[in-house]
Amino acid sequence: MKQHSLKISLIITLIMMLMAAYSAHSQEEDVKTVEDDAFTEQMRPIVPFLHDEHNEIAEIAECGVCHHVYDDNGLLSEDETSEESQCSECHLPAKSKDKTELIKYYHNQCKNCHLQRNAGPIMCAECHVK
Amino acid sequence: MHAVYNFVSGPLLWVSFILFFGGSVYRIVSMVRMAKKTDPVVYHFWSLKYALRSIFHWIIPFASENMRKQPAMTIVTFAFHICLFIAPLFLFAHIILFKASWNISWMYLPDTVADIMTMIVIGACIFFLVRRLKLPEVKYVTSCSDYVILAIVAAPFITGFWTFHQLPGFRIMGIAHILSGEIMLAAIPFTRLSHMFFFPFTRGYMGSEFGAVRHARDW
Amino acid sequence: MTESVSKESSLIADEGLDKGLARLTSEKIEKTIKTILTNETGARLKTYVSTCVHCGLCSDACHVYLSNRDPACSPVGKIKQTIWEIVKKKGKVDAQFIRRASEIAYTECNLCRRCAMYCPFGIDISYMILIVRRICHKLGVTPHYLQDTAQSHSATLNQMWVKDDEWVDTLQWQEEEAQDEIGDLRIPIDQEGADFFYSVIAPEPKFRAQLIYQAAVIFHSAGVSWTMPATPGWDNSDMCMFSGDNEMMGRLKKAHFETAMRLKVKKIVMGECGHAFRSVYDVGNRWLGFREPPIPIIHSIQFFYELLKEGRIKIAKKYAKTVTLHDPCNTVRGAGLHEMIRMIAHETCEKVIEMHPNREHNYCCNAGGGVINCGPPFKNKRVENNSIKADQLRNVKEQGAETVIAPCHNCHGGLEDIIHTYKLDMDLKFLGDIIYECMEKPEE
Repeated sequence: MKQHSLKISLIITLIMMLMAAYSAHSQEEDVKTVEDDAFTEQMRPIVPFLHDEHNEIAEIAECGVCHHVYDDNGLLSEDETSEESQCSECHLPAKSKDKTELIKYYHNQCKNCHLQRNAGPIMCAECHVK
Repeated sequence: MHAVYNFVSGPLLWVSFILFFGGSVYRIVSMVRMAKKTDPVVYHFWSLKYALRSIFHWIIPFASENMRKQPAMTIVTFAFHICLFIAPLFLFAHIILFKASWNISWMYLPDTVADIMTMIVIGACIFFLVRRLKLPEVKYVTSCSDYVILAIVAAPFITGFWTFHQLPGFRIMGIAHILSGEIMLAAIPFTRLSHMFFFPFTRGYMGSEFGAVRHARDW
Repeated sequence: MTESVSKESSLIADEGLDKGLARLTSEKIEKTIKTILTNETGARLKTYVSTCVHCGLCSDACHVYLSNRDPACSPVGKIKQTIWEIVKKKGKVDAQFIRRASEIAYTECNLCRRCAMYCPFGIDISYMILIVRRICHKLGVTPHYLQDTAQSHSATLNQMWVKDDEWVDTLQWQEEEAQDEIGDLRIPIDQEGADFFYSVIAPEPKFRAQLIYQAAVIFHSAGVSWTMPATPGWDNSDMCMFSGDNEMMGRLKKAHFETAMRLKVKKIVMGECGHAFRSVYDVGNRWLGFREPPIPIIHSIQFFYELLKEGRIKIAKKYAKTVTLHDPCNTVRGAGLHEMIRMIAHETCEKVIEMHPNREHNYCCNAGGGVINCGPPFKNKRVENNSIKADQLRNVKEQGAETVIAPCHNCHGGLEDIIHTYKLDMDLKFLGDIIYECMEKPEE
């Protein structure tokens, strides 16, 4: 009886670990929205963003195209990327209350690229879908 | 779509700003200079004190006799003019665009408030339209251009409302919104919408004549 | 009904308008209009025309519109039919248009300026109507009776074809009459260095000579130093201001001011007339280049007020009948004398009932602005177009008012016709009538 229950516990633990590992994996790899912890108040609906699909269509292979890092001299770093951090970590300095600053960076990141490439959404409601 | 957007939000926007600011300055300066030549009486009798006294009584709701006689019109027209200025200038979406383009921002309204203000402007335009169609004394002096001007003013608000609420066809409406806003701005100096900046002059001059010469109220 | 008024009005025959019309050609119309628009108008007209948003809010200001509810008679309605078209078509309008414009400008607007207080932009509608009158004058399309008065001004420097000897004769006649009451009373003629020159309008010597008598009694009792001139220049009235004959208006005002200078008086006190006050205080002086009149001008309302306040005349017995006050546009909206009228009325009368609206918001008598001077052809229309004033009067009559005090000649003319036509049976008085009747007079 004891052995039996031990087996069951082990199996359950194993399943849970697998699930946890899987979910951790999905968070990292399969991004579906644009979110940032700095946005405490939602002025507009969250932007749906299928990371992998987007990059496939847009033919973006390098992480650094979006997840850029600038060095102390303000130059784009060639070998560093920033996918581990949220945009607000750099783009909302000193706990600024002016969220429009961070919004500006988000919008410029998406919209300017879309305008340059003549592809992708550019108007408010195209991204902030209700 | 991208090319159209680039065009209306880029060069056209500059054209409308130039027409609006340049046109307004041109209209005011040419009026002031022309008055010096043709109507020096305005300069001789202009009195800042009485001009301000009169203007004051006409920018406060119900501070003039005629406003008290026309309560519905007074409420609508004040609500209209206040919302007409406040909603677009303090709209979150507009501030974001200013911030993105020129890196400037200022306080903004909650979207619900801006939405209500937009509806007030549209409602007021409907009120003005009905007034033009129904009141004999207004209908009599209404010309085609009055409807055009009303449409020019209502359009940015209708299209803005449409886009904000993401009603069907909001992409086209978004473009129409930018375009109609530009048309309105550009139209202000060159149509009767110029009452926006001529008001202080005409009211002030009448206030000066009534106050300083005729010792009477003009409200 | 509203339609019928405007249609009917355009059928009114008038010799001046009809004959003037016959002389017009489209070239003459266009040339005249262009000359006036180019040489005499500018920033104000342009701004007024381009600022008006066609809101119609001025309608409730106009007694004509309020009386007949015809949108063509609202202030902006009259502007639409006249100056807007003239400006838009750059003078390319036909003779019939000028005929209608002339009738509107001369007989459907009193230039009372009430609409300027109702227009949110303070657009001076009466100024634009005056431009229309100016054009009509230059085209020679003026109502016959009004033009006759203007001719009189031109030939005699007074409004009523009063000859020089008749004028002096009338003064001496009134002096004699008054001496029956007060033995040592004088009407000082041409007395240099007197404190003031008392100027009147020509209808006083012509029809209402007793007003000069009464004024003389009041001045004598108050012990003031005054005089009246023996020469032309004694008349302060000015129908040329209303007909659009600005040049003649200038001549009249010059003669008037120069007479005061010749007599070396300190000021001009003028009789109870509204339009004359407008002419000397506000319009004519500007035409001559004076910002303010070159010599102080005191209207009778103010002069009587000062005499009462200083105790120079005393009231023996108050006027017993209940009175109401009619505010004349040109001394109330034109000079803010309304509180003085009230002070005098309360000093001299037992009971005063106010008409509403009053003070600056008064309704015009519909006789002012030269409208009554357009004469009999337009009389019925003038009276019909002021039923709102009749309603006002009826209302105070029901509250007990028996006498209307109107310190203005034009108002008297207009109100008299209204009282008669609408069978209101009320007395009409000048402030001078009441003061003369109620004051303490020197025993003689």
